[in-house]
Amino acid sequence: MTPALETHGLGRRYGSKWALRDCTLEIPRGSVTALVGPNGAGKTTLLRLAVGLARPSAGTVRVLGLEPRADAAELLPRIGFVAQEHPLFGSFTVAEMLRTGSKLNPTWDDEAARRRIAELDLPLDQKVKSLSGGQRAQVALTLALAKRPELLLLDEPVASLDPLARLEFLQSVLEVVSDGELTVVLSSHIVADLERVCDHLVILSVGRTQLAGSIEEILASHRLLTGPRDEAADVARTHEVLRESHVERQTTLLVRGGAHVYDSRWTVHELGLEEIVLAYLGQGSGRRRETVAS
Amino acid sequence: MTWLSWREQRTETLLALGLLALLAALLVPVGLHLETLYRQDNVAACLTQATEACHQAMGNFGNGAGALRSVLTWLTLLPGLLGAALAAPIILDLESGASVFAWTQGVTRTRWLATRLGVALLTSLAAAGALTLLVTWYRRPLDSAFGRFDNGVFDLEGTVPLAYAAFALGLGLAVGVVWRRTALSLIVGFLAYVGSRVFVDSWLRERYEAPLGATWGIRQPEPALRGAWILSSGPSDKAGHPFTGGFQVIESCARGVGGGIKSVDPACLARHGAGFNHAIYQPASRFWLFQGIETALFGGLAIVLIGFAAWWLLSRVE
Repeated sequence: MTPALETHGLGRRYGSKWALRDCTLEIPRGSVTALVGPNGAGKTTLLRLAVGLARPSAGTVRVLGLEPRADAAELLPRIGFVAQEHPLFGSFTVAEMLRTGSKLNPTWDDEAARRRIAELDLPLDQKVKSLSGGQRAQVALTLALAKRPELLLLDEPVASLDPLARLEFLQSVLEVVSDGELTVVLSSHIVADLERVCDHLVILSVGRTQLAGSIEEILASHRLLTGPRDEAADVARTHEVLRESHVERQTTLLVRGGAHVYDSRWTVHELGLEEIVLAYLGQGSGRRRETVAS
Repeated sequence: MTWLSWREQRTETLLALGLLALLAALLVPVGLHLETLYRQDNVAACLTQATEACHQAMGNFGNGAGALRSVLTWLTLLPGLLGAALAAPIILDLESGASVFAWTQGVTRTRWLATRLGVALLTSLAAAGALTLLVTWYRRPLDSAFGRFDNGVFDLEGTVPLAYAAFALGLGLAVGVVWRRTALSLIVGFLAYVGSRVFVDSWLRERYEAPLGATWGIRQPEPALRGAWILSSGPSDKAGHPFTGGFQVIESCARGVGGGIKSVDPACLARHGAGFNHAIYQPASRFWLFQGIETALFGGLAIVLIGFAAWWLLSRVE
């Protein structure tokens, strides 16, 4: 089966500036993938290329095996997309937005959409622009889900929401994910938001892919090693060092790789996802070296 | 998709309907009054006669049209307003980002665009058409008495108002898709509409075809220029060259003082290069030719502008 999303050397340039560059990744079907990176890392650009809003300047992107721009008529009904800030027709009521969805989508599930709106207690006759941010996000998600998509793409879905609405929204995504083979990609610059929901991770920074894989594997392959400073070079030969810091005669290394460290002077710590992500994001601007002189 | 297009431009459509209703409320009573006046004063019979009584009747009838006649000149801006207003919802979607929602639903951007533009264009044409019918019905008696070739009448009858509306829609769209600021784009688009219209009305239109000239003696009755668009007229010599002498020439040709025009010696005037009237005009028979030329001009520009907007939206806007 073709991957849900597959890019090869994908790049998009605006003027002389690359918003996304040399991005190669593969997101398997059925996965829930977090697309992580700081603001301006190219997350939005990648998603916009995937739904055919933008055209690639370099490389290729295939979604469900199709080319987003060329095969738009076939692809668009099969993907759900919620853009940043959840744009909708502001002067429409919620009911009119549902009617819009039913008119624009051949696979529209009206019953499911209405049920979801009722469950969330959203007012059908209220205008979209007078809804709260959280309510609007939920309407946007409802519209995307009612298409019965095979792939759901959410661009910074919770960035504009307050903490409570953020929690509720992610809870909704969790519920959606739990019943079905839906593939979900959601971008964020806050890792903590995504860890509960996702099983895959893609780290983008300065327009490039820094890391891509299943969260389980990523957690297993990254460790924090602490040991004598003068032995650091030996460890570095068998591991990919992402970050190192030194305190007096002691060195701390954040490494990738599962090779065993035989020297008993080294202690090994498991790492949280957030620490790993931060290590990669720091790497984007050259490997970080932290030396604390005492 | 059609439902969505209507829903998106509902405010603008209602606004256009409201304006047309208001206009109908103004024009229908006056139109009925004019018709009565036209029949009462037997204006039709006077069109071919130049008696003193008829002169009076025509003047009386002209006054009957009332103040509305001068107000109506401003109506020529209305097709522009209608066109610009119907461009608004499309630009607003771009400005608010709602287009991103629209373009990621189950229909392609091309189909979305074709429907939106089609409905906006049809609405502009229908509104401009209704305006034209209303004005033409109201002016029927006036048209048969005074013609409909003059600036301010020509632009509200025939087919040109439809082309103006499409042109204004195209201008609003072309500026708007590039700029993506609804209010400013529409203001700039509308100003460009007014500018183009002023240029065509005051300079270009009279040049569609070389105008004709007519010369007649001052004591002779006016030639049949009924319904023509008189570009200029004034005293001249027999060959139609404009009279360049001053008042003293006429004075010197007068046999006595206080006798008016009848006391002036025509032979004397002729010797001094006067004694005739000359008019430069576009004959009434050219009305539909000029309508056709101007409709093609603005209609063609509208197609280019709307085509540009569509191309820009499909290939340059993300």
